[in-house]
Amino acid sequence: MQRPVIYRRIWGEATALLQRARQLTGVDLLIVLGLAGLLYGLLDLAKEWAGPHRPVVEITLSPTALPKYSFYSLMRGLLAYVFSLGFTLLYGYWAAKDRVAERVLIPLLDILQSIPVLGFLPGLVLGLTAAFPHSNVGLELAAIVMIFTGQVWNMTFSFYQSLRSLPLDMQEAATAFRLNWWQRLRWLELPAAAMGLVWNSMMSMAGGWFFLMINETYHLGDRDFRLPGLGSYMSVAVEQGRVDAMIWAILAMTLLIVGLDQLLWRPLVVWAQKFRIEETSVALPASSWFLTWLRRSTLIAGLRRWLRDQRAKHATTSSPLPVAKPYPTISPRWTVVCSWGLVLVLVLTLGWGAWQLARLLRSLAWSAWAELVLAAAATLARVLISTMMGTLWAVPVGLAIGLKPTLARWLQPVVQVAASFPAPMLFPLVIAGLRLAGISLDWGSLALMLLGTQWYILFNVVAGAMSVPADLREVARSYRFSRWQRLRIVYLPAIFPHLVTGWVTAAGGAWNASIVAEYVSAGGEILQAYGLGAKISWAAEHADFALLAAGVLVMAGVVVLLNRLVWRRLYQLAEARFSLSK
Amino acid sequence: MTTELTAVAENLCELRDVSHVFTLPNGRPLRVLANINLAIQPREILALLGPSGCGKSTLVRILAGLIRPTAGQVLYHNQELQGLNPATAIVFQTFALYPWLTARENVEIVLRAAGLSSDEVQARTERVLHLVGLASFEESYPRELSGGMKQRVGIARALALEPEILLMDEPFSQVDALTAQSLRAELLDIWSATERNPSSILLVSHDIQEVVYLADRIVILSANPGRIRTILPNQLPRPRDYRSPAFIVMVEQLHDIIAGHELPDEPRPPTAPAAQRLEPLPEATPSEILGLLEYLDARGGSEDVFRIAIDTRRPFDHLLRVVAAAELLGFVDTPKRLVVLNPLGRRFLNAPTSDRKAIWREQLLRIELFRLVYTALQQQPDRSLDQDFVLETIILHLPEENYQRLFDTFLHWARFGELLSYDEVRGTLKLV
Repeated sequence: MQRPVIYRRIWGEATALLQRARQLTGVDLLIVLGLAGLLYGLLDLAKEWAGPHRPVVEITLSPTALPKYSFYSLMRGLLAYVFSLGFTLLYGYWAAKDRVAERVLIPLLDILQSIPVLGFLPGLVLGLTAAFPHSNVGLELAAIVMIFTGQVWNMTFSFYQSLRSLPLDMQEAATAFRLNWWQRLRWLELPAAAMGLVWNSMMSMAGGWFFLMINETYHLGDRDFRLPGLGSYMSVAVEQGRVDAMIWAILAMTLLIVGLDQLLWRPLVVWAQKFRIEETSVALPASSWFLTWLRRSTLIAGLRRWLRDQRAKHATTSSPLPVAKPYPTISPRWTVVCSWGLVLVLVLTLGWGAWQLARLLRSLAWSAWAELVLAAAATLARVLISTMMGTLWAVPVGLAIGLKPTLARWLQPVVQVAASFPAPMLFPLVIAGLRLAGISLDWGSLALMLLGTQWYILFNVVAGAMSVPADLREVARSYRFSRWQRLRIVYLPAIFPHLVTGWVTAAGGAWNASIVAEYVSAGGEILQAYGLGAKISWAAEHADFALLAAGVLVMAGVVVLLNRLVWRRLYQLAEARFSLSK
Repeated sequence: MTTELTAVAENLCELRDVSHVFTLPNGRPLRVLANINLAIQPREILALLGPSGCGKSTLVRILAGLIRPTAGQVLYHNQELQGLNPATAIVFQTFALYPWLTARENVEIVLRAAGLSSDEVQARTERVLHLVGLASFEESYPRELSGGMKQRVGIARALALEPEILLMDEPFSQVDALTAQSLRAELLDIWSATERNPSSILLVSHDIQEVVYLADRIVILSANPGRIRTILPNQLPRPRDYRSPAFIVMVEQLHDIIAGHELPDEPRPPTAPAAQRLEPLPEATPSEILGLLEYLDARGGSEDVFRIAIDTRRPFDHLLRVVAAAELLGFVDTPKRLVVLNPLGRRFLNAPTSDRKAIWREQLLRIELFRLVYTALQQQPDRSLDQDFVLETIILHLPEENYQRLFDTFLHWARFGELLSYDEVRGTLKLV
């Protein structure tokens, strides 16, 4: 009598399973496949990381190895991004909430973001490989932290700004209705910061790829710290002069960036629009096929339902607390003591760092400093000229694109992807071209810098042109302004605030680019231009730490000065005279 | 519903000798409230009525425990209040809803923050959304709702907590007039139908009709710094009718009290030379002043001040500022509730543009602040001055005024009369 019951039960469960399976769509199948692929990749990655430390990694130039290398690089980028996000949330929150700490943290952030990535590299690589002498973890971590330093700063600034500029009434409502710090963070602060955070994450990821080649193929003196990845693949291809492999690598990078844009950033941007506080003038993509697609998945819908049920079940058991008790309005003394303590530790660490740096720099002769300052002047000239060259072509083209909405909607995402492509990967091709034309790197490096930074200007001009109010354009049309008058009276002033943003980003990018653009290895030999970037690269490769530190210091100093004296004033001018929102 | 007022009826909340001083960005103090004594009794609607800048909103925030007053005591059930007031919930003028949460979620979060169990949260949210007529909009986001609907969410959110005192900070001023009227009636229905909480409502308003319609007691405040001038009981039977004679009498009475203070009958003492105390400038633009004169001229030279407010669709306190400005400039007189165009005003109005400017200039120089700045400018070799000179003068002599707004008014008037020019970028004044 028992068997039929069991049969019936098995039969019943099997049909139920089938029933459920029939509800699963093709979308779900793809999601499962994608997850399985990711799992396999992660296992492989773990094997690679935990594997014994090899003196030199051999990179094969076969295109079939590229998917694996791309995956390694992608994982480094994503892990670095996770670190960046964590750092941003902690640092930004602390700076925004603690008046004492703010006075130290924000200027510090300003300085940190002007230090070129290469300034951190040797110390990190040496330190972390010494910490993990028997596995690849140290080197991997060093590469990840490098990418992190290229990503994190603008995200942190954005988060801090969002927290500081929350509408007053929303804050008052949170206080009056007694939200605790966690509820405040979850329902007010994180949502309000979401748009800026997503947008900056996108830019940051692009910034992180910029030094991929250096991060994965790093020489220090005669030691070779190389990691398997897309960047090292490209480097080896360049070393061996294999044009076919270079093209394969560029292709893989493009795919990686387009894929990330379509599968990660675009859905996130679309989703985050639910958190906007006001209508923004920035033209954002209104839809993402991938997000729509995910929303159709029954698997994900089921998972969400399950999570919601769990949460509800959990919440009912929480004890009620019906009587609201009065909360103290001033923070208790211990938090003040705590924050002073933390700030003190921070200041002491910084002081110790400065002391060590000073000891290192003492060995440097005055003539070396003078040399560095002269080189900085040369690089400054290149930065400004390349920004100007970028402006000259990007303004007319950006206006032409931005003033035609249909065209802009098509091209804006393309420009954005172009802007996030790491320009150094294209350098070998450009240098080959320069050599054919007989141009020295002293001038050629301008082209290399332009390659990386022009897109920022174009991108911002397009955004600016798209936000010119229709009535201002109609005035120009109805009073028959000439083409030149339209440009001078309507369009240039209207896009000026956006143009300034473009300049600041482009110039910042150009400083970073100078490190790779003024010092290039091509076909086994090294080309150098006269400039600060070349000096820094040279010092990093020859393990001349004093010169490296001095070079990085000079660059950071010039960048901070430039920000204070030029860009900030231009921002103020743009805000005061050319803002369209006032 | 009849409340037997026994002698021992305990006050829900009480302000004793409360004063508040803000520190301005330049470090100087600004006194917003002075010696406020006020008690909120059980089961009453108390209204605060006053011109802008009288510290109404600050008073609400002090009662809610969001701001600690610089002096005085806040009592809650005869206990001194420490921190947030557990008996209150605020309805904000600007709604202050979180745009990323639906109407339902906006209500739910405050209940969850209060630590209620999730069943209780569900039940209460359901009930209040139904109460304010939002049952079918609960999954809508604030941006999809009209102003009136948003404020319904705001009211539901506050009611959900079942506060003893509902604090409403100009709740209907950003809602269109018709919607506001129906919201007021609904608010009264909700208040009179609940047995327990909210026991009392404190309403901040600058709308006289609204106050007479809703309140049991009306507290009239004066500005700079905010002081209580009168507390007027309102015993009109409910439901009240905007057009009933008794209602209109009450509105008139309030008009008189306010006008009597803001536009005193006795003419100001003739401007004594030198050593004269600086007078603040009422915040009004030259075009508004000119508009008032044109209006009076069209009406044959005089009109009742409340009639003007209705005809020009200006909030009453705003109109009073325009009238005070015209009076300061010597273009009108204000006997009782009338505003009368005087001969100078008529001459000014009928003059061609260039003469108008001359008369305006002449009148400006009778005002101490303009004379002081003008003399200082004349003494400068290049006939120009930094704006800080004027700002310092204002802050020094009129510490209770909002110096930035007063400076803006100063500039408007001076530039209209072509007395001086102003370079915004460098922040300098220059004689024309």
